[in-house]
Amino acid sequence: MGCASALQMAEGGMKSIVLDQGDLGQGASGVNAGTLSLQIKRVKLMPYAIRGHQEWESMGDAVGFRKTGGYTLAFTDHEAELLHERMSLKAEAGAPIEFVSNSALREAEPNLADQVVAASYCAEDGYANSSLTGQFYRARLKQQGVQYREGFKLLGVEAGNDGYVIRSANTTVSARKLLFSAGAWLKSLTALMGVELPVQARVNTVSVTERLPMLTRSVIGHATGLLTMKQKANGTLLIGGGWQGRGTPEQGRGQVDTDSLRSNLALARHALPAAENARILRSWTGFEAHVPDFYPLAGKLPGYEDVFVLGCVRGGYTIGPYIGKLMGDYILERTTELPLFNPGRSFPEVVV
Amino acid sequence: MFQLAPNHQDDIVRTAKIRFTFDGESFLAHEGETLAAALMRAKLLHIRDAPGDESPRGVFCCMGLCQECVVQVDGKTIESCRLSVSPDLHVTSLRRQLDT
Amino acid sequence: MITDTDIAVIGAGPAGCNAALLAAEYDFSVVMLDEQVSPGGQVWRAKSPAILSAPETPESVAGESVRNAISQSNVTHLGGVRVWHIERSEDAFVIHYENAGVSISLSCRCLVIATGARETIQPIPGWTLPGVVGMAGATSIFKQDLIPIGSKMVVSGTGPLVFFVAAEQQRLGGEVAAIVTSNTLLDWIKALPAMLLRPGLLFRGLRWITAMYVNRIPIYWGHTVTRVEGESSVSRVEFKKISKDWTPQGQPRFIECDCVSLGSGLISAFESFQLAGISLEHNSDLGGWIPKQEQDGRTNVGGCFICGDGAGIRGSLAAETHGKLAGLSAVAFLGAKINHSIVKLRREYTRAASFGEAMSKLSIPRPGLTKLTTAKTVVCRCEGITRAEIEDEMNLGAQSTISVKSGVRAGMGPCGGKFCQTAITDLIAKTKSCPVSQIAPPTARPPLRPISVNTLAGDFDYSDLPISKPSPL
Ligand SMILES: Cc1cc2nc3c(=O)[nH]c(=O)nc-3n(C[C@H](O)[C@H](O)[C@H](O)COP(=O)(O)OP(=O)(O)OC[C@H]3O[C@@H](n4cnc5c(N)ncnc54)[C@H](O)[C@@H]3O)c2cc1C
Ligand code: FES
Repeated sequence: MGCASALQMAEGGMKSIVLDQGDLGQGASGVNAGTLSLQIKRVKLMPYAIRGHQEWESMGDAVGFRKTGGYTLAFTDHEAELLHERMSLKAEAGAPIEFVSNSALREAEPNLADQVVAASYCAEDGYANSSLTGQFYRARLKQQGVQYREGFKLLGVEAGNDGYVIRSANTTVSARKLLFSAGAWLKSLTALMGVELPVQARVNTVSVTERLPMLTRSVIGHATGLLTMKQKANGTLLIGGGWQGRGTPEQGRGQVDTDSLRSNLALARHALPAAENARILRSWTGFEAHVPDFYPLAGKLPGYEDVFVLGCVRGGYTIGPYIGKLMGDYILERTTELPLFNPGRSFPEVVV
Repeated sequence: MFQLAPNHQDDIVRTAKIRFTFDGESFLAHEGETLAAALMRAKLLHIRDAPGDESPRGVFCCMGLCQECVVQVDGKTIESCRLSVSPDLHVTSLRRQLDT
Repeated sequence: MITDTDIAVIGAGPAGCNAALLAAEYDFSVVMLDEQVSPGGQVWRAKSPAILSAPETPESVAGESVRNAISQSNVTHLGGVRVWHIERSEDAFVIHYENAGVSISLSCRCLVIATGARETIQPIPGWTLPGVVGMAGATSIFKQDLIPIGSKMVVSGTGPLVFFVAAEQQRLGGEVAAIVTSNTLLDWIKALPAMLLRPGLLFRGLRWITAMYVNRIPIYWGHTVTRVEGESSVSRVEFKKISKDWTPQGQPRFIECDCVSLGSGLISAFESFQLAGISLEHNSDLGGWIPKQEQDGRTNVGGCFICGDGAGIRGSLAAETHGKLAGLSAVAFLGAKINHSIVKLRREYTRAASFGEAMSKLSIPRPGLTKLTTAKTVVCRCEGITRAEIEDEMNLGAQSTISVKSGVRAGMGPCGGKFCQTAITDLIAKTKSCPVSQIAPPTARPPLRPISVNTLAGDFDYSDLPISKPSPL
């Protein structure tokens, strides 16, 4: 999201520099499952998600974008009810979601399980290859003449003559304005500014199989959102769904929890029995940040006029390029096409 | 007699030979040896094609790591350097269908 | 936490077996796991069940003796199982392994990792052809199946292994077309003082070499195979003389053969250490990236001990004593009073290690080695990615192993980067003009070996899946 904002600022003639403690696009944006599905977006965020889809579509091959259409499956009557309720609201919010008959589903996706009770379909759904995020943005930043520095771990911020001086272990950078878009690491950065934000991180698990014969063409989801599955053009099957691993962003990379992995893969196998013999090559985790109300932080850091925050966007991979652009506009003091989300709002008590 | 470089080929006693099939073709192997060894003896080195450039591949690391020697048995993918040959073994290769 | 066993040992090579045997002497429950069916590891790999009887070799004798010791001990040996994940909690470790298609977990208070080494092979044109096998790989086939590889083999590599491979190929009835080794006689003379510590092995090595001369098998010292040719399998190799820094130079020459055994030395199989939370450090004398370690196999992770070649390539003799030391560290951690002489063991270990390190030195890659990998050479075998494709990615800005992996999929295939990561690291270091020690390997990710969805998912009832309430609308 930081890269998208920087590109927008460059478009508006503002000079910026992108700093990352690791490599560009190796946080959540580089390790997620790459699902671009309107069916798993929050109702209130739908307008952002729809525009996010358009952004991805325009990035095209460079990010491995494919619009495949996506099915969300329900295996029990209870899940079918849930599916109807949720998808109807999302359709009302503007997502072109329809309910499909079992025979239509079977015709489109013959390898899916017989146990499907109900399914919804969205033609806009698809995926991109999150591994390419870093490569893509590095190229775009270079093209737009935006500087970036990898391996810059921010350790401190001080007031400078005209703005701020930010410090890593061996260099400093000064800037008039700051944008913190450090994903799951946001909390410790804004703390440096004396602002406590109630940011928490989920530890999402993703797995990938070796190349398989083509088993499915669409993005497959589950009524609860606990499964996302898609087969890439090269034949590998990517399985996610937000099952939780262990660890915290501060401790470095998270760990795969075997119980979560087992359930995640059981659900995948239930949906696509033909994948039962597929061999899993890798499972990994990524940190997805959120605040208690699960809406984005996008606006001024409370108490500052020239420090901004962008993060905690539920479905941030899909929405990121768009909301990043909005953020760029906001910093450029342009009117944003859609409203942002004030980080200074009050949050519900966190229930643990 | 002291031999600098002995040849032990004839001093090795192996189990009886049995038949297994590889892509439908029947081969002989000593029961219990690895499929990798049985195929080597049969001079069948080209076990699979790489999925990307479809170049021919065969046994490489011989210790179950490189995955170059994988074949399929009952729909399951398994390394031939870790698979013991038994009489009812039917192996399907991951070679692209040779159009002969 | 009440654990399934006191101590778990991963890897049943010389290091793992000795650690397990010693720990069992102190009356702790010990489970030792290995993906091979019988104990022995790489150096003492057991014969396949197809072999009813065969002449003994020093390796088979040593292997039988450790297998007997294990079977007579209280060590529980789980053979043919593959550890695929290691989880840590406050006071215990949980190991997850596959056994015949089923995933099983085992908890322990104390963990000894002795997963040994694997080999590294500098990519050269044609190295993906059937008929090209690793040098260490060739020894696995020899020890397990007792057959020669192909009918006419060229052996090309470094260290003592070239001679062992050639000798075994002949012993088992195969032919050796030539030995091509990057080492020169001078390299060997320099290693002589250390070899005198092990006169038995020195004698064995000299016998192999003399036999080659007697049988008129050419040995090309200071040479390397630069290309493998053939249609669907090996038909000949190209080789060249190399300079002091191992840059190939001079006229290409050719040798007809139907197989070639290549090796550029051994490296630690460090992924299990990474999963256990042990940090890595770079030490080119010991095979590159190795786990950070303290004396007697202790690590920065409390309760987790390491030994053998995985901790640094020092050879099987050192692995045995290192295993004993790590076993003692483990029982001491669990509160036992040690009644072995640690001082004596340490002395033995230092002696064995200096021999092993001298042998490893012969394989330390020199800068010219990387020139064998031409622009069009496939570096990542699984995904078919060439050196030029990786360099293009670096020119676009990828500056780390993780970025290269993400950008071009190099290292994302079924082997998990085990056979391309060394070459990729070298390429990045070269582009950035920095030492390889600054280019960390990618994060290790489970499973350590490919495992099927069925195995990982296990038997389940859909209604029992812990499906939580859906995310907020
Ligand atoms: C293929 C090969 C051949 C070699 N041949 C010779 C030789 O002929 N002569 C010689 O002097 N030296 C040889 N070496 C070097 C020699 O093997 C080592 O010096 C010595 O064996 C080290 O002992 P170790 O116990 O540390 O490791 P190893 O003997 O390698 O034992 C490690 C064990 O861990 C097991 N393992 C690893 N990962 C897992 C997992 N995830 N799950 C379950 N089990 C696992 C492996 O199967 C292996 O049995 C060879 C090395 C290799 C790699
Ligand atoms: S040869 Fe490498 S896995 Fe079998």
